[in-house]
Amino acid sequence: MSGFTFPLLTVTAAVPAIGAIATAAVPAARRTAAKWLALAFSVATLALAAVVTGRFSPGGARYQLTESHAWIRDFGVRYELGVDGIAVVLILLTAVLVPFVMLAGWHDADPLEGPVPNRRWRPTNGFFALILAVEAMVVISFEATDVFLFYIFFEAMLVPMYFLIGGFGDRAGATGDDAEEQDARQRTYAAVKFLLYNLVGGLIMLAAVIGLYAVTARQLGTGTFSLPEILRARADGRLHFSTSSERWIFLGFFFAFAVKAPLWPLHTWLPNAMTEATAPVAVLITAVVDKVGTFAMLRYCLQLFPEASKWATPVIAVLAVIGILYGALLAVGQRDIKRLIAYASISHFGFIILGIFAMTSQAQSGATLYMVNHGISTAALLLVAGFLITRRGSRRIADFGGVQKVAPVLAGTFLIGGLATLSLPGLAPFVSEFLVLVGTFTRYPVLGILATVGIVLAALYVLVLYQRTMTGPVKAGIEGMKDLKVRELLVVAPLIALLLFLGVYPKPLTDVINPAVKDTLSDVHRTDPAPQINAVAKETAK
Amino acid sequence: MNAYAPILVLGGLGAGFAIFSVITASLTGPKRYNRAKLEAYECGIEPTPQPAGGGRFPIKYYLTAMLFIVFDIEIVFLYPWAVSFDALGLFGLVEMLLFVLTVFVAYAYVWRRGGLEWD
Amino acid sequence: MSATAVVHSLLTSAAATPAADRIPTPHIEYAQLSPVLIVLGTATVGVLAEAFLPRRSRYWAQLGITVVGLAAAFAAIIALAADGYATTRAHIAAMGAVAVDGPALFLQGTIVLIALVAAFTFAERRLDPVAHGNRVDSFAAQGSAVPGSPQEMKAVRAGFTTTEVFPLLLFAVGGMMIFPAANDLLTLFVSLEVFSLPLYLLCALARRRRLMSQEAAVKYFLLGAFSSAFLLFGIALLYGYAGTVAYTGTATAPGIAQVIDGSANLTPALANSTGNDALLLIGGAMVIMGLLFKVGAVPFHQWTPDVYQGAPTPVTGFMAAATKVAAFGALLRLLYVVLPGMRWDWRPVMWGVAIVTMVIGAIVAVTQTDVKRLLAYSSIAHAGFLLAGVIAVSPSGVSSVLFYLVAYSFVTLGGFAVVTLVRDAGGEATHLSKWAGLGRRSPLVAAVFAVFLLSFAGIPLTAGFAGKFAVFQAAAQAGAVPLVVIGVIASAIAAFFYIRVIVMMFFSEPQPDGPTVAIPSPLTSSAIAIGVVVTLVLGVAPQYFLDLAGKAGVFVR
Repeated sequence: MSGFTFPLLTVTAAVPAIGAIATAAVPAARRTAAKWLALAFSVATLALAAVVTGRFSPGGARYQLTESHAWIRDFGVRYELGVDGIAVVLILLTAVLVPFVMLAGWHDADPLEGPVPNRRWRPTNGFFALILAVEAMVVISFEATDVFLFYIFFEAMLVPMYFLIGGFGDRAGATGDDAEEQDARQRTYAAVKFLLYNLVGGLIMLAAVIGLYAVTARQLGTGTFSLPEILRARADGRLHFSTSSERWIFLGFFFAFAVKAPLWPLHTWLPNAMTEATAPVAVLITAVVDKVGTFAMLRYCLQLFPEASKWATPVIAVLAVIGILYGALLAVGQRDIKRLIAYASISHFGFIILGIFAMTSQAQSGATLYMVNHGISTAALLLVAGFLITRRGSRRIADFGGVQKVAPVLAGTFLIGGLATLSLPGLAPFVSEFLVLVGTFTRYPVLGILATVGIVLAALYVLVLYQRTMTGPVKAGIEGMKDLKVRELLVVAPLIALLLFLGVYPKPLTDVINPAVKDTLSDVHRTDPAPQINAVAKETAK
Repeated sequence: MNAYAPILVLGGLGAGFAIFSVITASLTGPKRYNRAKLEAYECGIEPTPQPAGGGRFPIKYYLTAMLFIVFDIEIVFLYPWAVSFDALGLFGLVEMLLFVLTVFVAYAYVWRRGGLEWD
Repeated sequence: MSATAVVHSLLTSAAATPAADRIPTPHIEYAQLSPVLIVLGTATVGVLAEAFLPRRSRYWAQLGITVVGLAAAFAAIIALAADGYATTRAHIAAMGAVAVDGPALFLQGTIVLIALVAAFTFAERRLDPVAHGNRVDSFAAQGSAVPGSPQEMKAVRAGFTTTEVFPLLLFAVGGMMIFPAANDLLTLFVSLEVFSLPLYLLCALARRRRLMSQEAAVKYFLLGAFSSAFLLFGIALLYGYAGTVAYTGTATAPGIAQVIDGSANLTPALANSTGNDALLLIGGAMVIMGLLFKVGAVPFHQWTPDVYQGAPTPVTGFMAAATKVAAFGALLRLLYVVLPGMRWDWRPVMWGVAIVTMVIGAIVAVTQTDVKRLLAYSSIAHAGFLLAGVIAVSPSGVSSVLFYLVAYSFVTLGGFAVVTLVRDAGGEATHLSKWAGLGRRSPLVAAVFAVFLLSFAGIPLTAGFAGKFAVFQAAAQAGAVPLVVIGVIASAIAAFFYIRVIVMMFFSEPQPDGPTVAIPSPLTSSAIAIGVVVTLVLGVAPQYFLDLAGKAGVFVR
């Protein structure tokens, strides 16, 4: 290839990054200007993501739109970007969700009214700049095909996320005179817990990254982090991991991704972080940032360390199933709306990880599709829940009741988001959950059956939540509740439309995903085991 | 071992002279005790000072001691140079001038900043 | 020559002396030693300026002399490097006393730049409130006045300032520049004393909290003297082993390295009296101990927190950055040039030292409540990370340590410069509780400090990460994988306390009687700005500096 090619992927990541700087530079007093500027940049990113999707041809090369430049030669680090089908859909998901997150959080960083105004410091431009910064880092970690480049943004992402969680909570946790102080303390705790869990995961991954370099440097002469190059070298037989070093390095990588994903028992930061953050930030955590973890399992764990992945699969699959059941059971018992959704997410991440490590084409396609669908459905549910919580000033389920009588549209959208979460047929998550289960049955029938119990529990926690908050007599404090405003409808309606569309017609996504999944599976040298179930799955996928 | 014999002899002579002087002094000298004589000798100042303000030595004492050391050390370098002045030649002269110059910089500093005035 | 002839020659002129009796004049390459000579010469000029200039004009004169001198020294270093003295023309100058090679020039350049930035913070006069119509800096009005005494009051009222700090800084810099270049043990010891003595003095010169500052200086002096004694004793033992103090030499005029690896061509008489391995082991260990003291490695770290806390903050910043650079340079040269043949003996010990340094530095830091002590323990932990690179015994080990030193030192200078800004009625407010809510009161200062802390913590895209990655990578390639794992765990612990400070600054309520943030002059601002720039440039695009360190990473023998 000669001449200058437009660096589309770089630009896609750079636009939100520039937006973050520009937004941060807006004077603090001009709150509205900062908001519109940030929104404009996020929409521009969406447009670029759409172009990326359009330019990507599913049947073509494995990594497309590639860019490659020398960066830090001494570390063997290159600035290498490229997308496969999995990355494309996740970039698109991120780009779609961020504008909605911004719209939903339009007033989240306004100065608080109340007895002590301006007590808490909430720079509006900072809030929106941080969201854009997270978006930029997430996008570039989906695009990176250099392990080191990925690692850098995987880690650096923590910093803006940390400030988003710790700096901008909603005021709804505690009651009493010192409620604000209590909230602040809990929020700080959640932010620090988030950071420490992920930092420890990241640093252990750093040790593994260095180990990877040491192995490649010893065997190839010069160390490299380039994923395509490592795969090529291994295919040629120039690079060979010893069993023990492959396993150790795999574990280092997997640990970081399992914390981020999160996989039981490394999940405990998620409920705190999601509960204390505002609903839009919680969406950012669970629907966008955590996807980097599951994405990285698919891209790095399976492709770089196929043997170790196969070796670890039984344990990981069991942990995933435990996560499915544990998350669902705890969700049933929650009294706090956001905590409930957080545990539901843990359950869903169990499904995604199970799908990845079942190592069948249906399960992995399902898992990738699940990442997208879970992002959209959780976003819908959480954002509506956020509107609800802001109106009432409380997160406790017991404080709600009879909302559907005073705010029917709000209740209706909440129900659809909930039904998507419990994977009702006809809504998007159903397809992916079904694919994951089918794919798992063919290899691990027992785990498949156990995971199915998770679906039953999901129905329980979603419907009970709806029943307690929306139906029954109108509780005190609910009477004057206003229905959704235009801005809020603008957020929810497109998400619900997407859920319905992908529920009946997932083909555009699966067409992009499937070739990439096939490549990944061939890296792991796995083929689908049971032909008779395969046929059923193909029926469903169509 | 032969080479060390003069050193041993010198040491023996030195020790002998010290013992001889102390013994002779105690045998022949007059003994009139007073308070000042019983105190440890400390360059003419009170060995255990209890002045008002907590007993800090005036900085002047340190200054004088340090200035003495500076010029004393200078002699340590100057003397051997003077002894083999001709063997060291021009190089030795230039280096020694540089050395003296540096010491004079310190001297000028002390002089200009009042280090040589007692009060 | 008979005795009478000797006496006669004293009385006659030099021309009469036979040529054979001439003491050969040493050959000294002044041009190649010019960086050090410039710095020491400038310091001497500074002393003269102090003596003869009127008090009013001393401050600006000293600042000007210092900046010009350091800039000239840096230019000389660049010129030497451009002439190839760092690579192809690297050699040992001044009769085997001083090496002119890549690591020496690289570290000298680093030290000079550190000193330049430190001179800016030394010269800052906008932070302390104006005393009796005079702008004052961080240093005592009159060092010799008893704290709280009438003399001190008088000195303060007269607006005295201790402008001698600039020549003292330069003398220390001169010593530090020779330290990593020293190629025999005596030069090593002399340069150690040359840079230590001014530092002891500087430590005692704080304007506020003078007793604490003097206590810090006494502690530093006593422990420093103790470590010097160790070093000197070690030198004596090594001399006993090898019959020379030179690091290297030729087969006929061997250095210690030749005696160790057996390539020395010793006369039978000398061979009988040298080569005692017990002397080598004990002597080597004692010299290394002396150097580890200066580096601040556990278990020789006890002085660090007290001295860092008590010393005037600009001095702390300079000391933390430059001493570490000089001492690691000397340690590298000793281990890589003199003792590589002994690496199977010293590597296990250094493994242990590196591990306890990383772990103890990180764990003890968690309990600190004073920001200067916190940074002191953090510097101990960083010494541990650096030791991990030292242990690699490979070219990439040297270059990674060189790179890490650059990254670490400018971030440290910037960090301590920020500490000088946060003040209350008693001077700098260093207790961490006072820093609560700083992010609300002055977001810019808090954000800058957060950047420095993130770099200390080794978050990607900062200089700290690139440095940490470089040393760990070198260690891993040398097979020290367990060390890397422990280092990573220590980093995680260390990250906890850096994050804690960020939490305090951004997420805690400001105290009603909290400190104010002083508006600095361009001097401190530029010191901080340089720190930020280095943090980001070395974090995002480190390749140029890695190349530089890689090219400079070969010691001359």
